[in-house]
Parts: sequence; C-alpha cells; structure tokens
Amino acid sequence: MSTATLPSRPPGPALAALALRQIRRGAVSVTAGCAGMSALVVTMYHDQALDPAALEALARNPAIRTLFGEPVALDDPGGFTVWRTGAILAVLLAVWSSLAATRILRGEEDAGRWHLLLSGRTTLTGAVRAHLGVLAAVPLAAGAAVAAAMIAAGASAGGSLLHGAGLAAAGFFFVAVGGLTAQLFPSRSAANGAAAAVMVLGLLTRMVGDGLTELAWLRWLSPFGLVALTRPFGADRWLPLGVLAVAALLLLALTAWLAARRDVGGAIIATAGGRPARTTLLGSVTAFAVRRTLRPLAGWVAGVAAYYLLIGLVTRSMTDFLTANPQFTEMAAQAGFTLGTVEGYAATLFALLAIPAGVFVAARLAALAADETAHRLALLLAAPVTRTRLLAAEAATATGAALVLITVAGVALWAGSAVAGAGLTLGDALAGALNVVPIVLLCLGAAVLALGWMPRIVAGVGALPAAGGFLWQVVADSIDAPAWIGVLSPFAHLAAVPASSPGWRAAIVMTGVAAAAALVGAVGYRRRDLRT
Amino acid sequence: MGITALRTENLSKRYGRLLAVDDLTLDVAAGEVFGFLGPNGAGKSTTIRMLLGLARPTTGQAWIFDTDAADVAVAHRRLAHVPADVALWPRMTGAEILDLLGRVGPGVDAAYRDELVERFALDVSKPAGTYSTGNRQKIALVAAFSTRAPLLVLDEPTSGLDPLMEREFRHAVGAARDNGQTVFLSSHQLAEVEAVCDRVAILRAGKLVEVASVAALRRLHRTEVSATFTGTPPDLGGVPGIDDLHRDGPVGVRFTLDGSPAAALHALADAEVATIAVREPSLEEIFLAYYGQDAR
Repeated sequence: MSTATLPSRPPGPALAALALRQIRRGAVSVTAGCAGMSALVVTMYHDQALDPAALEALARNPAIRTLFGEPVALDDPGGFTVWRTGAILAVLLAVWSSLAATRILRGEEDAGRWHLLLSGRTTLTGAVRAHLGVLAAVPLAAGAAVAAAMIAAGASAGGSLLHGAGLAAAGFFFVAVGGLTAQLFPSRSAANGAAAAVMVLGLLTRMVGDGLTELAWLRWLSPFGLVALTRPFGADRWLPLGVLAVAALLLLALTAWLAARRDVGGAIIATAGGRPARTTLLGSVTAFAVRRTLRPLAGWVAGVAAYYLLIGLVTRSMTDFLTANPQFTEMAAQAGFTLGTVEGYAATLFALLAIPAGVFVAARLAALAADETAHRLALLLAAPVTRTRLLAAEAATATGAALVLITVAGVALWAGSAVAGAGLTLGDALAGALNVVPIVLLCLGAAVLALGWMPRIVAGVGALPAAGGFLWQVVADSIDAPAWIGVLSPFAHLAAVPASSPGWRAAIVMTGVAAAAALVGAVGYRRRDLRT
Repeated sequence: MGITALRTENLSKRYGRLLAVDDLTLDVAAGEVFGFLGPNGAGKSTTIRMLLGLARPTTGQAWIFDTDAADVAVAHRRLAHVPADVALWPRMTGAEILDLLGRVGPGVDAAYRDELVERFALDVSKPAGTYSTGNRQKIALVAAFSTRAPLLVLDEPTSGLDPLMEREFRHAVGAARDNGQTVFLSSHQLAEVEAVCDRVAILRAGKLVEVASVAALRRLHRTEVSATFTGTPPDLGGVPGIDDLHRDGPVGVRFTLDGSPAAALHALADAEVATIAVREPSLEEIFLAYYGQDAR
C-alpha cells in the first residue's frame, strides 16, 4: 500500500505557528494595554504650567530621579506620558517577555513536549530560534502600537517613535534574557528566577545611576537605564537604543550558540549528581509547603530588600526637596503621591509593596496549580491528606512568607532612612509596610478562588488586585477619571500609613472580601476533579 | 471472605457528552489480587481517580473498607497508590521523596523500604529530575509497597519497567498477597495479570463486561482444537459447539470449541484420529476476543 506523504517543506512556519499559538492571547493583551495606557495619558494631559526654574529643580533632584526616572519635557503631553508610564510599561513588557520566553522554551521542554517536537527534522537550535523569533515580534508590535497610539492622541511623532522604539527594545532585550536563562537552567522556575534577578538588578542600577550624578554612567549598563537615556521629547537620542539592541542581539546569538551545545531536556548548568538526603521540613504537608516556599522567598526577599533599602537611602533628599518646592508636593499629589513628609513619602512607597507581595502569594498558589497539572499531587493526595488541608497549608505558608517579605521591606526602608538620618522610626516603617496586608490577602483570596474554579489562570487572577489594581489607579489618576472608576482599585482604599492612621474599616472590608473569595475557592477546590 | 477491601456501586463518570465510566459495580475482597483490564480510554484510570477521591463520581459511590472513598483522610489510611504517570518534584532526591511520602502517608516499614530500594536497584541520592520514567515508577512502587497498607491501588505500575524489575514487582505483589494485603492492579501487561491475579475485571467503553477468575475466563472462552486423521477427515459441519472449521492440509482440521465438548468428541471418536491438540486461549487472546470487533 502506498500512501501519499506531504511534500517535504521546511519546518520553520509550522514551528512559528506553534509558538504563536502559545503566546497570542498574552501578546494581544500586553500590546493593547501598553498602547491604551499611553494614549489615555496623552489625551488626558493637562498643562501643568510649571515654570522652567521649577522644572530644572525637579530634574536635578536625585530622589525624584531615583524613584521615577529623570523627568524630561514634562511640559509636553508626550514627555509627561513617558515620565508617568514609561518605566511601568518597560517593566511590564520586560516581565511578560521573559516569562513568555521561559514558558514556551524551558516550560515546554521540561514538560517533555519537545522530545516529540524534535524527533522530526527540527533541531534544538532551530526550535529555539523559531520560538524566540516569534516572541521578539511581540515587543516590537507593542512598541509600534504605543508610538501609533501616542501620535494618534496628539503627541509629536519623533518623540513617540523613539519612546515606542525604547519600549520595544526593552521587551526585546528581555525576550533574549528569557531565552538565555531557558538554555542555562534545567527548570522553568530557576530560569524565571535568573531572569527576574537580571530585571531587578537592571532596575536598581537604573535607580542608582539616575540618583547619583557621579554614577550616572551606570545607566549605560542597565536596559532600563538605556531606555531612559533616549530622553524622548527632549534630547531624542537614538544611540542608547542601538546599544540595547546590540546587547539583545548578542544575547540571542549566545542563546543559539548554547542551544546547539546541550541535550534536549538538559541544560548548560547541569543538575547536580547524587547528594545526601536533606530531610528537614518533610514531616507534614505544612512543613513541605514551607520547604518549597523557602527558595523562591529568598529571591523575592533579596530583590525587595535591595529596593526598599535604596528607597530608604534617598528619603532625606527627597523630603528636603519637596519641602523646599511645595509646587511639586501638589503636583505629586495630582499624580497620586503624597510626598510632603518622611512619613508621607514612606507611605507612598510602601503602597507599592503590595505589588511584589501580592504577586508573590499569587505565584505560590499558581505553583500549587502547576504541581497539580504536572500530576505531582497524585502521590501526595493518595496519602491521608485532604485537599482542604493541602490548600490550607499552602495558603497559610504563602501568607506567612508574604508577611516575612513585607517585614523585610519595612526594616530595609527603616535601615536606609536611618543611615540617611531621615528620622523615621522602625515602628512607623513596619506599620507602613504591614498596611498593605489587606491587598495581599485580596490577592490570596483571588488566587484561591481561581484555583477552585479556573485553575488555569491562578497567577493572573491572583495578581489582579495588586498589579491590576495599581495600573488601574495610575490610569484613573492620570486621566482624572470619575471617582467611581478610581474606587474600583484597592489602592484607592489604602490609608497613607504611617503619615495617617490605618484605615481599619477599609482593611476589614478588604479582608472580608478576601475571606469570602477564599472560601468560595476552597469549596470549588474540594468539589472539582483534580487534573492529575 | 467477609471483608470487602474495595467496593463500587453504580459508579458513573460523565465528561460532557462522554460517559467515561458507566454504572460500574465491583466488589474486591480483602486479600485478593485483582486485575483491572481494558484498552486505552476504557475508563480504568477514571475509575481509579474516583476510588482515590481525586475525581467525583457523577452518580454512584465507592468505598474503601466500608469508608466512603471521598473521605480521604480516613480511607487513605488504609491504602497506597502508584499512579500511571508518576511525576516527582525534580529538585528533590529519591530518598527525600520517599521520606516525605513515608511521613505523610499511612505509615512505613523502613526496613522493607530499604530492602525494596535495594531490590529495585534505585539510586535514591539523585534528584528526581534526572530519573527515567522507569525510575520514577520505581520510587512510587517502593513508596507504596513499603507502607504495608491493606490495599494497594496500582495503575499500570510496570509500564516503564524492564523484565528484571518486572520480576521484582511480581515478587513484591506475591509478598503483599502472603501478607494478606489486597492488590488492585490496572494493567496492560496481560502476562503479568495472568501470573499474579486471582480475579480480573474487563472494562470496555466504561462498562464492566466481565468479572471472573482467570481460569473461569478461559472456560468461558473457546478452546482451539486441531486434529489429524489417518484417513479422510470427517465432516464436522453442523456438530454443536464446533465453530470456525478449517481444513488443515489433506488430513487435518482446525476448529474452535464453544461450550461442552461432548458432541465434538463423539464426532471425532467416530473417525480415525491420528493426533489431537487442545489449546486453551491465553489471556491475551481472550482480551482480543473481547475487543477485536469493537475497539474501546
């Protein structure tokens, strides 16, 4: 019997289609989000009527520059938009790009699906190249969409194009970083951790370089610093973008070179061979949950501690500046920050802590969902362990770990401000940090709810109250949205602790909502079929 | 045999339009080694997931030693399980995973565990991420057998094992049986089921089509007979019980025998039989007879 086989065609298009299928939804939302946010802020821009001397003072202040980046052309709708949204969007694109890269490269390979994929004519390098090629198109599309949206909203073309290109380059660089860590590390979580470390280091380098004139050259070493150096709507420099693009291309070349030098399913940094058993924290489901949380917690603690230490170190110069220039206190208030005093400044920056802490608990619950999908829970749940107990252990451990993270942030900011002599007490710092607990609990509640009813999207739903709520508030503030839109974000209900006393009522309401969501989620988790 | 180790009553599971398990009623006595057969997609794993409380029955119920299978905190104190697709935490070593499962599980016979690790030739100092399918399966097998739990629910536990390890597996099942434990074994390895099981259940398209001892299954099925004659073979057409009659060369016939052989033997006795061979079907042939026409 002779059957017709398909004519031999190059496998490239099929691989590209496979990669596209896995990222299309995220790609569309990230592109639409970036473009929409930029266009909104341009459209709703009101002339701030700042005099040149004040602008000059703002641009010179190290604290302002550390926290929000160097302000360039705030008197221009485009320039204001870049200052207000540029850093956030660059981080958003970087996070999405690196996570997507590790997911479709290391994640798919780890799940064993690439063994099948690569049993055909495709080589490992070919598959890696095809996937990264498709992925690299996403930040380019997002950057183009941002530029187009800003031009359409009335910003000038040159600056918009440069800003869009800057965002695209940042995303492109992190596609390459994700691709590289996916070659280096044998598991997706390790690859993600390494990519996150690059990102945090890049952010901190940018902050230090922006803040300290004598270290300004550091910005040339950070992807975010390079993007800031382009100064859209001001100096309009393209050279830093060239540097960033070349760096990304070099990383991509290195990625392909490494891919050709390893086994399918293997990694450049090999898993250790044998080792003696470490049997601490294996005695119960709760102990095991703690054990699995320690390693990721260490990474998050390092990043958050470094950030808040830096924030603490610039406290003094920030508040001194704001006291001397009350005009900016008002302007910052307009942008959603109340920065007049040390306490107000700390309160504003502690509100941001809800994002890493909330995303952290969402990620822990997502790890439980991933264990289920990977069939790892089958052995554990064949033991006399109820799902409720397993979920309670995971949720309690995630909450405890988030409290550690929050406390570390409080202590770090206090330590930094103490070194700078800003006079913030440890009690105030801890109160400010712990003030975000209700939002973190909302994230936990949302994640448990998703685990019970929509286990595929635990991470996204869990991160929504913190990350989504923050973006919601930024946009609502930037466009002077009606009050009822603003209050949908949990951040709108966060009291400015330690500047003012805690908003107990809002905290209780948020905690109640979180508990209800967690309860409904737990019921769903108990009732549904496990995907093992 | 008074005690029931595992029981289901009208157990059904529906996924959308697919009825994966259809009205399954089953009773496995304590101390029995019970084979659970069926082609891919017949509903074996779905049944096991319901027995373990991992999936909720659409209708019906299952019991583990008279405890509702959904009450896992109680039911799982008396069972151990080897899943079909063993997935482990990649960074933990085999020893750490065995330690974890021993400590959260229904108890562990540490000496027996060490013996099993030895027998299955496992290197438990390596991280699980470096294990092959077979080695992951061995970890789950060692963990399950070393609990000495009264009921072992094994879902295709030997699909990744080599023949030497399969022998160790049969050895361990034998030891469990001698120990009075019950083994519920879902498997495709029919030779293995034939070797270790007292009774087997056969599942097709979610429905139970047969529950019987292996010997009884054979009896239920056709025996293959071939005979040669010194002269012309007799005309056996129309003899009750004879089917699939073929000429086998000038002096031979082959046929299958269904039911009582009396009439056929009579007919043969009247002819000049030179040789006769009667062969019982293997479990594989029985299995194929069940599914040959109507896959799934």
